[in-house]
This record gives sequence, structure tokens and C-alpha cells, in this order.
Amino acid sequence: MRDIIRMIVVLAVLAACSGGLLAAVKSGTAAKIEVQQLTFVKGPAIQEILKGCTNNPIEDRFKLKVGDEEKTFFVGKFDNTPPAVVYETFGKGFAGDVGIMVGVNIETDKLIGIGITTHSETPGLGARAKTDRGFKESFQGLSIKDAIKVNKDGGNVDSISGATVTSRGVCTGITGSSDMYQELKPKIMENVKAFGS
Amino acid sequence: MAKTIVQEFTKGLWDEIPPFRLVLGLCPVLAVTKTLGNGVGMGVAATFVLLCSNILVSALRSVIPGKVRVPCFIIIIATFVVVVELVMQAVAYPLFLQLGIFIPLIVVNCIILGRAEAFAFKNGVAAAAADGLGIGAGFTISLAALGALREILGSGTLSIPFSDSVIQMFGPDFQPFSFMIEAPGAFVCLGLMLGVMNLAGK
Amino acid sequence: MGDYVLLAISAILVNNILLIQYLGNCPFLGTSKKMDTAVGMAMAVVFVLAMAGIVTWVLEVVFLKPLGLEYMRTIVFILVIAALVQFVEIFLKKSMPALYAGLGIFLPLITTNCAVMGVCLINIKEEYNFVEMLVSSIAYPAGFGLALILFAGLRERIIIGRVPKPMEDTAIALVTAGFMSLAFIGFNGMI
Repeated sequence: MRDIIRMIVVLAVLAACSGGLLAAVKSGTAAKIEVQQLTFVKGPAIQEILKGCTNNPIEDRFKLKVGDEEKTFFVGKFDNTPPAVVYETFGKGFAGDVGIMVGVNIETDKLIGIGITTHSETPGLGARAKTDRGFKESFQGLSIKDAIKVNKDGGNVDSISGATVTSRGVCTGITGSSDMYQELKPKIMENVKAFGS
Repeated sequence: MAKTIVQEFTKGLWDEIPPFRLVLGLCPVLAVTKTLGNGVGMGVAATFVLLCSNILVSALRSVIPGKVRVPCFIIIIATFVVVVELVMQAVAYPLFLQLGIFIPLIVVNCIILGRAEAFAFKNGVAAAAADGLGIGAGFTISLAALGALREILGSGTLSIPFSDSVIQMFGPDFQPFSFMIEAPGAFVCLGLMLGVMNLAGK
Repeated sequence: MGDYVLLAISAILVNNILLIQYLGNCPFLGTSKKMDTAVGMAMAVVFVLAMAGIVTWVLEVVFLKPLGLEYMRTIVFILVIAALVQFVEIFLKKSMPALYAGLGIFLPLITTNCAVMGVCLINIKEEYNFVEMLVSSIAYPAGFGLALILFAGLRERIIIGRVPKPMEDTAIALVTAGFMSLAFIGFNGMI
């Protein structure tokens, strides 16, 4: 009997110590891990959208509450043009969700560029959304307030040949974030100002 | 006769060098040695876990009841593996992405559990630390050697551990021997290296 | 339905867990010297992995993810697998002694078989749904069994042949595994 109690006590104490240690390490590294993930997973898309910005958008970021979730906004400051924010939204692709980084000029509400972060689209077809310059550039200058459509549906976006579903998914994903953006606009302006631009 | 601390350390470098002499923990050896950088990264991560778990198991050996020693070892090892996972994400995220599920799989690396059971549970803290460090260093050397060989032949480059720089080994006309980078190359290369070790050991 | 068949073929052949994904290589070399032990090990892995896959997936979806404790995954999974192996061992000993006699000695080895833990982690990483997880948890160990049994057949032959002294045993086994792996890479074009 004493043996069994001893076993249980030792196991419980070990498990408790382990849990405590891990929770401490987790909270100690959480901030750094977030920055690393942003830099290496979302970073490339953000840097591409905010090409020529004078600050580090990964560091100049803020979070706003959208419903129950928090959304992260990255700020890009420029010398001659007004600042822009970049945020991530999701659209339905051919095979699951497509992560889309959307960059918006906060004075004109026009898109300055988009980028694809995560996707599981078919290589060579839908996956080209991530690399196809013409497709991504055709979003530039469109207003976030309007419904964004591919040219087949009467819009201005050049859809990727052979990947209409993915192209449409990206458009509806961006259009879907329009309400959220307009609703948060005052808060976004406030936060961007706080970064001193 | 009791061995000295130095002997406990050096045995890991040749006499019991994993995975050649101790044929254990093969999965990461085969999987992450596509490049020198990945091999060394994995070696260092495994050495850290091995050293910490050896020290703790040895220190607690009079407290841990024999019947539940394996679950206790597993908790100790898994804790340090998660620490490595978190720290690697914080300081070397690209390496973390490269090594993928082989980082959490350090927990089932038989070398670590094997050393806890066969050595640390029966020896003092200093000896256990020396053993962990020695076996870990041997493991890292093996991974580095295999990684360097496969990378040089398979892609014609050599990546420097813990940095982004890559050295081009050959001129632009070099045709990479991509068999070495693929899975079969890992098995064949390890088999041949083991053969060479056996030849040299006699 | 077609997707599940594709997933199964991919898990058994194209992404064979032993020869392409490099998981579970210790028992692969350790238990493949004789056909009997290879068959025993293969059965034990299929048996445990099917259960471990389900339990770890449910734990992840019901507890770890909603509570934001994903970083505890490694420690929780390994403890679940260790406990499950113990439980299976006790259960088989009591109720199915015949099966226990066949699988018994392999069961304790399975805790440190990275194929089991590896497939549980792959199920989470690939974000499989329940049915996909079931297919993967059965197809991956089936691929493990296939490769292990084929390999044991080869090794029984190799022992008879004359192998240079330094290459004996593990060294020649690794080279052989390399050529088997090369054959499995041929399945790449299938999907």
C-alpha cells in the first residue's frame, strides 16, 4: 500500500513540476515565437505588399477585436504616400482555405497590393495565385469598399488561367473583409497614428 | 573498476558512438541529414535533451520507485523536448520548420530513454552528465558527418550550421547526385558508413 | 470516397512510413531478421496505432486545441501512447492469451516506436478530419507491415549469402533498405 501511494505521489509531483516548467517556458517564449512566425510565415507576403516602406511592419503591428477573435494589423509607413495597413483574411479556394494578406491605403481605402500566405491549392494551377504577378497586380487600385470580382464575372481582376475557383475565392475573401475593415476604420486610424505617422 | 568521468565522456565519441555502435535512434539520423545544418541542429537539440534528462534521472534515482521508472523517465524527457521545441521556435524558426515533426519525435528516440534506463538510473550525477554529453556529442558528430556527405554529393553545397550561409562546393557544371538527398541515399550512405566504421574498428 | 482510397494508397505505398518518411526504423532493423518476429511486430503496430490514432486525435480536438494547450501535445501524446500500450498488454494477457503469446514481447517496444507517435502527429499536422484520420491510422501501419515483412524476406536470404565481413548484419541491411526505398520511390508517379 505504501508503495502504491509513493508511486502516485512521485508521478503527480513530477507531472506538476513538468507542467509548471512548461507553462513558464511557454509564457517566456510566446512573444518571440509570435514575431518569428510572423517574420517567416507571413513576413514575405507583408514585405512584398509594403515594398519601399520606411519602417518594419512586423514590429509596428496592433491587434483589434473582431467578434470573438483578435485580428492583427501591420502598419507600413511611406515617405511620400499615406500609410497603409496590411491584414490577413481567408477565402475559399479549390482545396480548403486560402490565406490572403490584404494591403489597404488608409486614406483612399484602395488596395495597394495582396499576397497569399497559406493555401493547399493544386501546384501549377491554383497555387500560382501565390506567385502570379499579373493576378496580384490587377488588385492594385481597386477600392476595398466595392465588391471585387474576376473579369469573367464582370470585374477587374485577371483570373489565373485554369484556376478560376481559386481566383474567385481570393476576390470573395477580400470582399468579405470589407465590412470588418470599414467598421474598424476609426480604430485603425487611431492605432496607425499612435505609431507616429 | 569505476571509470573516470573523462572515460564516460569519451566512450560516446568512439566506443559507443550512436548510431553506429549503438544502433538506436535511426529515424532522425536518416530523416534530417539532407544538409549539414539540419544534422547539427538536430544533434544539438537531442544532446540538450539527453544531458538534462540524464542529470535529472540520476539526481532523482533514489526517489523514483522502480516500478514506475519508465513513465517517470518519459515525463522528464518529454518535458525537455517541449522546452527545446519552444526555444527553437523562438530563436531558430526556419530550422524548426525544416526539422518538422522530428523535433517532437526526439521524445521517442530510443537513445535517450536507453541511456536513462541503462546508465543514468544506476550512476551518479557527474557520471550521468558526462555520459549524456559524450553520447550526445557522438550523435551530433555522426549526424554532421552524414549530413555533410549527403549535402555535398546530393546538392553540391554545404550549409553552415546556425547561419543562413551556404557554400557552393563545385563549379556551375556540377550535376547534383540527387539520389543522396532522397530516402534511399540516406539508407545506403548510413549502411556504407557503418561498414567503414566496422573496418576501421578492427 | 475516391479521396480516401487515394489517401490510403498514398499512405501505404507513395509515402511509405518506413522507407520514405523514415519513421519506425529501430524496430525495422531490430525485428526483421526473422519472418516470425516481423509478422508479430507488424500486427502489434497496426493494433496499437489504430487505437492511438483515435485517442490522440480526440484529445487534440476536444481538449488541447480549445484550451490553447497545443504546446503540451508532445508530452500528452507520449503519455497516452505509453498508457495505451500498457493497457493493451494487460487486456490481451487476460482475455486473449493466444494473441498475447504472439504479440506480447513486441508491445513494450512500441512505446518508443516513432512510427506510432509520428502518425499521430501527422494526423494533427495535416488537419485530417475524423474519417481521414481513421484511414491514415490504418493505412500507415499497413504500409509499415508491408515493408517490414518484405524486408524480413530479403534478410532471411541475405544471411545465407556471403557478405564481406565489415558489411555484415546491420550495414548490409541498411544498404538493402536503401534499394527497397528506391523501389518505393517508383510509386511516386502513381498519384
